[in-house]
Amino acid sequence: MSLEMAAESSEGEEEGKLSGGNQILIVDEDLRELGKKAAWSVSSCKTGNGVSSLRDDNLETYWQSDGAQPHFVNIQFQKKVRLQLVVLYVDFKLDESYTPSKISIRAGDGFHNLKEIKAVELVKPTGWLYLSLSGVDPRETFVNAFMLQIAVLSNHLNGRDTHVRQIKVYGPRPNPIPQQPFQFTSREFITYSTIR
Amino acid sequence: MDPLMWAAYEELCILGAAEEATTVFGEAASFCIQKQYLNCSTSQNLSTEDCHAVATRHSVSEDMSPRQLRHMQGLKDIAANPHGSSIIGGAAGQLTSSGSSNMSFYNTPSPMATQLSAVAPPPLCRNVMPNGPNLSTLNSDNSPKSTVNSTIQAPIQAPRRKFVGEGRLRKISGRLFSDSGPRRSSRLSSEASVTSNANATIVSGNGTSNSYKGGSKLGPMTFRTMTIRKGQSWANENIDGGIHNDVLDVSRLNTTSTTSCSSAAMEAKSYEQDAATLQVSEQVTSESKVITGASEILSLLRVLGEGYRLACLYKCQEALDTYLKLPQRHYNTGWVLSQVGKAHYELVDNLEADRVFSLARQIAPYSLEGMDIYSTVLYHLKEDMKLSYLAQELISTDRLAPQSWCAMGNCYSLQKDHETALKNFQRAVQLNPRFAYAHTLCGHEYVAQEDYENGIKSYQSALMVDERHYNAWYGLGMLYLRQEKFEFSEHHFRMAFQINRKSSVILTYHGTALHFLKRSEEALVVMEKAILADKKNLLPMYQKANILIGLERFDEALEVLEELKEYAPYESSVFALMGNIYKRRNMHERAMFHYGIALDLKPTATDAATIKAAIEKLYLPDELEDNM
Repeated sequence: MSLEMAAESSEGEEEGKLSGGNQILIVDEDLRELGKKAAWSVSSCKTGNGVSSLRDDNLETYWQSDGAQPHFVNIQFQKKVRLQLVVLYVDFKLDESYTPSKISIRAGDGFHNLKEIKAVELVKPTGWLYLSLSGVDPRETFVNAFMLQIAVLSNHLNGRDTHVRQIKVYGPRPNPIPQQPFQFTSREFITYSTIR
Repeated sequence: MDPLMWAAYEELCILGAAEEATTVFGEAASFCIQKQYLNCSTSQNLSTEDCHAVATRHSVSEDMSPRQLRHMQGLKDIAANPHGSSIIGGAAGQLTSSGSSNMSFYNTPSPMATQLSAVAPPPLCRNVMPNGPNLSTLNSDNSPKSTVNSTIQAPIQAPRRKFVGEGRLRKISGRLFSDSGPRRSSRLSSEASVTSNANATIVSGNGTSNSYKGGSKLGPMTFRTMTIRKGQSWANENIDGGIHNDVLDVSRLNTTSTTSCSSAAMEAKSYEQDAATLQVSEQVTSESKVITGASEILSLLRVLGEGYRLACLYKCQEALDTYLKLPQRHYNTGWVLSQVGKAHYELVDNLEADRVFSLARQIAPYSLEGMDIYSTVLYHLKEDMKLSYLAQELISTDRLAPQSWCAMGNCYSLQKDHETALKNFQRAVQLNPRFAYAHTLCGHEYVAQEDYENGIKSYQSALMVDERHYNAWYGLGMLYLRQEKFEFSEHHFRMAFQINRKSSVILTYHGTALHFLKRSEEALVVMEKAILADKKNLLPMYQKANILIGLERFDEALEVLEELKEYAPYESSVFALMGNIYKRRNMHERAMFHYGIALDLKPTATDAATIKAAIEKLYLPDELEDNM
């Protein structure tokens, strides 16, 4: 799934326009959410609409920034992780001028060496937006990084502040069997591979 | 060791220290039993506590559940109680004693008597509570099944019952009914008299079980004892679980009565009757009956004991063969079938285990013994529907049993929801901290979430409860393998192997750990053993190929993989590994060919990426290639 998405977004990478958005969050089985082990911070927020609203699994609550553009959401991990997918929930119908329009995703080791890895422009999105971090090359399926930064560069209707309701970050599942070059696919191998 | 003390033998098996069943349940044992019986019947007074202890040990049935034990300080908990219900199906009922017999194993008679007295009333109480109507309906449900058993068993039971009935009844009458003595005698005098000995026999046969129902007559007394326990609501809940076991017991013992009242009346009567009349007259004739009865029971216990012992030593194929020696009617009981299921599971024959366990559930739908293993079997088979159904049923049967929560946790774990699974396993641990498997499962969930510290703690708690729980040793080995602490890993896998020598999975991982310790020759030897241990397990061959690659013996590795290809034509990793080897040897076309097949076989996304990356690199041979 990730590779197909990589193909899509690479074609549209020049324009990078995304619209619509899924109502339901469906993610591949072999991806797992990495956000729980990360430290999340934002560049600014209004009281009551802070960073915790981004991670509370509640689409009613949102983060509202409170400062000059660009607004940042910083995600810092304790060790280098392999990231594959970023999913955001934004809603133009509810948030109108607060809805982000240009988003840039940067990755690196820390604030000092972030490099942009993805840029998208949103057109009246409503729902979950899947932003794959994979490149075209199969060697670039994952981004290895200590830190991810999601930057909101501009909003719809030139709004100053932005609302984002939820953000999730996904990476590949580790091999259930340690020290193995490849994962097993057939049922017989999997059954014999662990004792429970 | 008292040959009829099944629970003690079971415990010895779990500790791995049991002697062969033939020695324990041998012919000499039957004489031993007879001697005890004679001892008891000649000495009438309560002072011979040991005799009563023997009697009550046998007679306290399986509703002395671990739950009750938990509430008694310092009592050792043993395997889940419901096994008794099917043992009853298999053998004479009174032989299944759980906690109390365990107590007697470790304590001297006199304190045991007092403990037993504390113990004896509760079973009565638990049965008393609202499920009066339930009892009768359950009775009627189970009676068709039980009639076959009981009619056949009746002749065997007759002599045993008298013996047991007496001792038990005396015990109970001595402790519980002391207050209500006067009331009882007035009741008795007003009731229909029971005259024939035969009647009394059957009744006293029902006596123990009906003593539960008889308890209902002793309302005030039992309610008083109820308050000792932690409130009636708790007891209510327990009754659901306990009742089902009890009732199975009751129904099997019940040859004649289905209504509580009449039997209670008869039973109450029988107390007086037995105490006064039976011993002297029956002594002579019953002696020989006792011997025959005892030897029949012992022959049964011998088979069951041997099977259980072998299963605990993980000699599963032999255990299965032993259980097959049982006559049909004993084989088709909940306990035996769940032991057979466990044996199949240990042999990694999940389909057969599933079949056997579901049969066990049909026969004994309320038994919880071994159901945690069944849930693991379903987990391995990835049958999420069946697993969630099982979990729901178990929880509705008994919310306070660790097995139910283990099943529920396995359900969530199958959905990869490790957090919720962990919560369920922790609940199971809370309900019974001495249930080793719950700790191990907690450990697995922690490791799945990469929380290694807590994982280690959980596995170690499991091992503190049961040192022979090889799953926990295995879990620790895997954990250290992940953390690359290969020395620790190898040690733990070795310990697991020493407990379960037949498991090819343990051998495989032991070999892997040895390889990472650079003891590759030993690793290969172990891997060979693993391959031989289980023909159906193809992993050792794969790992052997891995080791050979590590040793740069590419040709041998290719040979192994070619063979493996025949056995597992749909396993992507085999082809991917072959591709790797060909790439190392610069045979690019072959590498490409194999990578192509590997990709077709739908590997995981990560692996697909790796393989594709490898393909890209194939056309840039001047680039420095590391191992992938």
